[in-house]
Parts: sequence; C-alpha cells; structure tokens
Amino acid sequence: MEMLLQAFINGILMGSVYGLTALGLTLIFGVMKVINFAHGSCLMVGMFASYWLVTLTGIDPYLGLIVVVPFCFVFGYLIQDSLISPVFKREKGVREPFGVLLLTSGLWLVLDNLALLLFGANFRSIQTPYSALSYQIGDILINGPRLYAFIGTMAGAYLFHLFLKKTVMGQAIRATGQDRDVAGLMGVNVYRIYSVAFGIGIAITGLVGGLLTPFYYVHPTVGYVFDIKAFVIVVLGGLGSIPGALLGGIIIGLIESVVAQFLTATWTAAITYVIFLAVLFLKPEGILGLKGEW
Amino acid sequence: MDRFSLTSPRVYVPLGLVVILFIIPLMVRDPIFLHLMILIFFYAYLTLSWNIVGGFAGQVSLGHTAFTGIGAYTSTLLFIQLGLTPWIGMFAGAFLAALMAVIIGYPCFKLRGAYFALSTIGFLEAFRIVVENSNEVFGIPIKGAQGMEVPLRGDSLLYFQFLDKEPYYYIILIMMFIALYVTYRISKSKFGYYLLAIKNDLEAAESLGVNIAQSKLKAAAISGFLTGIGGTFYAQLILFIDPANIIGAYLAFEIVFIAVIGGRGTLLGPILGSFLLIPVSELTRVYLGGTYFGVHLIVFGTILIVVMLFLPRGINDSVLKVYHWVIEKLERKGSHALEGVASR
Amino acid sequence: MALLEIKSLNKNFGGLRAVIDFDLSIQKGEIVGLIGPNGAGKSTVFNLITGVYPPDSGHILFNGDPIVNHKPYETCLKGIGRAFQVVKPFPDMTVLENTMVGAFSRVEGAGKAKAKAIEVLDFVKLTPKRNFMAKTLTIADKKRLELARALATDPSLLLLDEVMAGLNPKETEDTIALIREIRERGITLFIIEHVMRVIMSLSDRIAIIHHGSKIAEGVPKEVAQDERVIKAYLGEAYVFTRN
Repeated sequence: MEMLLQAFINGILMGSVYGLTALGLTLIFGVMKVINFAHGSCLMVGMFASYWLVTLTGIDPYLGLIVVVPFCFVFGYLIQDSLISPVFKREKGVREPFGVLLLTSGLWLVLDNLALLLFGANFRSIQTPYSALSYQIGDILINGPRLYAFIGTMAGAYLFHLFLKKTVMGQAIRATGQDRDVAGLMGVNVYRIYSVAFGIGIAITGLVGGLLTPFYYVHPTVGYVFDIKAFVIVVLGGLGSIPGALLGGIIIGLIESVVAQFLTATWTAAITYVIFLAVLFLKPEGILGLKGEW
Repeated sequence: MDRFSLTSPRVYVPLGLVVILFIIPLMVRDPIFLHLMILIFFYAYLTLSWNIVGGFAGQVSLGHTAFTGIGAYTSTLLFIQLGLTPWIGMFAGAFLAALMAVIIGYPCFKLRGAYFALSTIGFLEAFRIVVENSNEVFGIPIKGAQGMEVPLRGDSLLYFQFLDKEPYYYIILIMMFIALYVTYRISKSKFGYYLLAIKNDLEAAESLGVNIAQSKLKAAAISGFLTGIGGTFYAQLILFIDPANIIGAYLAFEIVFIAVIGGRGTLLGPILGSFLLIPVSELTRVYLGGTYFGVHLIVFGTILIVVMLFLPRGINDSVLKVYHWVIEKLERKGSHALEGVASR
Repeated sequence: MALLEIKSLNKNFGGLRAVIDFDLSIQKGEIVGLIGPNGAGKSTVFNLITGVYPPDSGHILFNGDPIVNHKPYETCLKGIGRAFQVVKPFPDMTVLENTMVGAFSRVEGAGKAKAKAIEVLDFVKLTPKRNFMAKTLTIADKKRLELARALATDPSLLLLDEVMAGLNPKETEDTIALIREIRERGITLFIIEHVMRVIMSLSDRIAIIHHGSKIAEGVPKEVAQDERVIKAYLGEAYVFTRN
C-alpha cells in the first residue's frame, strides 16, 4: 500500500515536469498550429546549458535558471525567426502545412546528433549538496530535487498563466492564436508574436531542463523520451489547453509510476501509446481541449 | 526526327542511363561500392512505395516501417519455422503488411494533417514496443529486442541468399523499376487522379464522386504491400532483423526525408532524393562516423532544413530542368549534324 | 414524379435550429431559386441534399430514391452535382485535370476522361486556359471551373451556391447565359443566389428561407410582392420589377 502511495506521489512529481514540457509545446501548437518535433531536443539544449553552467562555474542549478531560461528564450526566438518563419509564411494558405513539421524534424536530427558529436554519448549528471536529500512524511520519502522541480513547474505554470492574462504581450499572443488575420489587422505584428511565443515555449523547456538536471541524467538523446510524452500529453489534454497540458502531464506521470508497479517499463510505454491513440481517435479535442483545426 | 527513334536524345539518354545502371556490376567489382548502390536502390524503392500514400494522396505517414517490419518478420519466421523460401514468404509478408495498412489506415485516415502523422507514429512505436518485449508470439519465438538471424544457406537462389553483392544489386534494381512503373501507372489512372484530388481538396473531391475512404485505403494497401516486400529484401540482405532497425522510427523518418527532398508526389523524386542523400549519408558515416555515430544524420537534417527553406518542392523540378536543357542541347547538336550530312 | 422531393427536413447544430420543417419539390427541367438572408440556412439545405451531414429528421427523394443517408460521393454518382460558394479548385492541378476528376465519375480510362473534360471545358468556354494551373486563375474563371467540374459528372440536378458572388456585370451576364444553356442541355438547376436581379430573371420558381424555415414560395413576381418576404429580406417596401 505504501509502495502504491509512494508511486503515486512520485507520479505526480514527475508528471508535473512532463506537464510543463507539454505546456511549452501546447503553447506553440495553440498559437501557431505548428508541430515542433524539435521540442525534446530543445529541452536537451536547456539541460546541457544548465549542466555546463553548473559544471564550469559551480553556480547552483536553480540560480543558474536566471541564465538558462533567457538563453533558451533567445535560442527559440532565433529558431522561429530565421528558420520557421520563412517556411510558415510560404505555407500561409496551404491546407495542410507540413513544411514546419518537416523542418523541425530536421532540426531534431541536427540538434541531437550535434550534441552527440560535441558531448559524446556519456550519461552525465550534476551533483549538488542536496541531490540525495529526502523529506519524509510518514513512510513516504520525497526526493528533494524532485519536489523542487514540482514546485518550480507549478510556479512556472502559474507565472505563465499570469503573463498570458495580464500582460499586453500575453494578450497579443492569445489574440493571434485565436485569429491571426484579425490580430494582424489590429496592428499586431503577427510574425513577431510568433517568434516571441516560440521563444517563450522554448524558455519554458529551458526552465524544465534546469529543474531536471539536479536529478535526471543529461544525455544528447534525453529529449526524445520527453518529446514523445509531450505529444501524448498535448493530445490528451487538448491542443492549446494549458490546464490540459498540466493535467495530462500528471496523468501520464501517474500512469508511468503506478502502472510500473505492476508491469515492465516498456509495457507501460506501450500503454501510453494505446491511450494516445485512443484519445486521438475517440476524442481528438482531448480531455479539456479546444477543438483543434487541422 | 521520329520521337521513338534511337537517335533521338529523348530516347537514348534515359535508355543509356538505365543500361549503365544494369552494367555497373560488370564494370565495378568493389563490394563496398555495390553495397552503396544497393542501399540507394533500396531506399529509393521504399520511398517510391511510400510516395503512393505520402506523396500522391498527401497523407504523410511517419510510421511506414511498421510494414517493413511485418514483411521481414513474416518471411523470416516462415523460413525458420516451415523452411518456406523467402521468395514465397515475401508475398505472405506483403499481404499481411497490406492488411495492416488497411487496419491502421481505417481509423487514422479520419484524422487530418498533423494528427494523422502523429497517429502513424503512435502505431509504429506501439508496434515496435510490443515486438521488442515479446519473446514469442503464439508459441513462435521472435526473440524480442534481440532480433533474429536469418538461417544461412550460403549461395542459394532458391532461398534468396547470395554470397556476392551482384545478385542483390540486380534484384533491388529491378524492384525499384517495378515500384517506379507501378507509381507511373497509378499517376496516369483514374485512381491516381483521385488521390491527387484528395490531396488538393478533400471536400471538392467527394462532391465529384470520389470515395475518399476507399481511395485512401487502396493507396495504403498498395503502399503497404510494396513496403512489406522491401522488408523481406532487407532481411535477406543483412541476414539479421531486429525491431530497432526494421521497425525503427529513424528509418521511417529517413524515408519521408528522402521523399520530401527528392520531391513529394513526383515520380522520380524518391529516386533522385535517394541518389542525393544516401551517398552523402553513407560517406559521412564511413569517413566521419566511427565513434561519432549519427554524424550522417546531422547532414541529413541539415539538407532537409535547407531544402525546406529554399526548395520546398524538392530537387525534382530543378533536376528535370537541367535534364531537359541537356536533352535540348543534344537535340540541337544532332540536328546540326544531320544538316551537315544532308548538305553534302 | 418530382426530380427532387424534400419533406419536413430538420437539422440542428447543437442548440441552433438551422433548418426547420423544410419542404420543397423540384420538377425536372426547372430552375428553382433559393434566397434568404445570410445565415438563413441555404447552404445547410445544400449540404443536407448532397449528404455532407445527415438531417435530424425528414426525407429527401431523388427520382423517388431516398438519399438521406448517402455520402457526398454517392449523391454525386446518383446525379446531383454541386458548385460551392467558396470555390474549391484543385490548386495544383491544371484546369483540364480538374475537370477530368469530375469526368472520371462517369467514364473509365484517362483517354475518355480527357475527351469528356475537353468537351465540357469547351462548353463553359475555358478551352484557352485548359493547361493553366487552377491556382493561377481569376475568381471568375475559378467559378467557371467549378461549374465545369460539376458538369463533367453528368448531373441531372445541379446545385449552384452563389456562383455570381464576386463577378463584375459582364461576367454575371455571361454566367446567366451559361446557366440558361445548361438548362437547355436538360439539367435541372437549384440555385442559391444573393444577386436579386439574377435570381429573379433566371428562376421559374423561388423559395425563401429565413431563420431555417421556408416563409414563401412561388413565381418570382409573386414572391417579390409577398409581404413576409419584403419584410424579412428585401427590406421596407422594396418594389421589384422583373428584368
């Protein structure tokens, strides 16, 4: 019973991380209707940024977020501006714009394998004074960094929510996402908004990356796993839905850790895909979602 | 000048190219070079098969290696368990692959655009994970992630196994031409027009009498069938199959990249794309690979990005332009020569 | 027997009642017009006829045959053709190829389809632009192409959804003439239009739909003077004279 409760807690903790990753993806999906196949790779970039920052300067990884998150924002902004926008503009009227999907697939290949080339295939991790720290509630152990990650993701999600609701830029992003033509007519520089939105989406993965490095291994292909999960979550929670992304993330996290008590890890992954397919076919809008237009 | 005469460049240039492809093994004996050519033809074959669904019908499947997997595993298992020659097992595998294509297609085709692409990945990954984790199916061992070896028979035409590269070369070359011919015939037929209409505008196509579901499923079945045969060829070439490769996401994406870079929906695009990418990728792997596995993927990815930015329709149109320019030059030279003769 | 018989047709979208108890009978050889304010339910009626979605209740009989649960491709094969309000050409195919897709519903073989398409394109006077990519056409030509494609399916009933929208006066005249020629070919026409002059001069009968219900039906002159119609659609005391 305790094992189950422990698994439950861990599922929620990890699930929030998945959820925040999915949040970045759903933002990009929702605003630009773009599938970013390189999302996981961007997470990997964020993790490596955090890793190298900590390893080379000895700074605390959570403090390091102050550098990592803006770095990822710029990274995302530049990618959107220089690579994705031209393709996007060209496909403006096209009914099924695959160009961006394919472009980001190429980006995924390049980023992952470039990282392999530059950093090698070793699994790295960073050590902090609190890596092994655990809090104890009754018989349940809660790992420190995982808990901080949970807090960090919740805080990040909340800040992001405030940003969208309260700031001018946030409103512009929402408006553009809902109707880009009208937003354009109202003086919104649509393509700049896209770049900002993309940048923010990547900045969020930067946040996730920085929160992960204290307890997760760092490796060039680490992004792939998160990427697939993020897509599953976005579909599960509904395209463009932020609470959906978080909820979906927690559900996936729970499935992973609770089901894993009974089945092997790879069968758990298979179940994730089955759920993914079931949602795609039965309720493509997702549990909480808006109807995606494809 | 008669259009079909052998002296017309329109005839002798393509004919010449085909002839060259057929006599290469007689002139170049280097097995590494032949292996490269085999890979080029193999990827071209897979991509030509994919093109029916992904190019003509416009349904971008990112999970086509489910079919190579079925083809490879079916023919190999039939070989191991029943001693059935892969030449026949190949067709069993292809039929199963076609069947699976229809079964997967039925729900997936209801989804549009990117949702469709994602669903194909979902199926592929689920299928691969199931195979990876099954040591046996209905009592038949399939060895899961370990993979299976194809029983050795040495040099045997009967059992689709050869010690030299040459037979494989000719087999895959012929397969490639068959796939090309099939796609050519489709493109000129009612079925081909319907697929194109579906790709351009679903609603309009339907209002003109196109049975969307039937057309898409037919395309999936044909594509799956051909791809399944490709899987068997791979099994007989490498003599080892495992889920990570034959049901791999990387291979599935590579096919799509070749199609896109070559020219999605064109006839020759898959072949052109393969001729461009495979040598680049193999050479990168051979000379820069080694400890840096995956370097060729950097090249692949970069080419894809460049193409998406500057040549979104792929290289097909540009290559054809150059080709026609060459043909015209040759035609003019030819007619000058004739004039020269006539005036004597 | 009427060519098209619609009885008590009802369609709701969520809470919105788009078509309410709609009745209409169209005889072979007629040109029947359907008018009404925007959002009244006109295109919905077309969608119900062709089978884009099924009605919630009601009957639609084509040549005595119930077609309510048919899919659009089936109604096309039965003989109902359609030109859409927002043109939907196949952008990356030529005008000829576009039309061939329609022709293939009746003939087998690319050669025969091509011949049929050429004939239809000649009829709508698009022959000089046969090999143009559809996406390069002007709006007027795209509307022509839309007609040509539908004609290539040899319909007995042709549904035209606002084919005059966006045309200049000359193009409108040409299209009116073309529609008359289509009728002469023996094709029955059911037309949605907003351009009053056009529908009044072309139609044998007109039905008016408002908020999903048919509020009047009759010959153009009657309809133009019907109080309900004037109030709902034509505005205050708009007196109409036939062309």
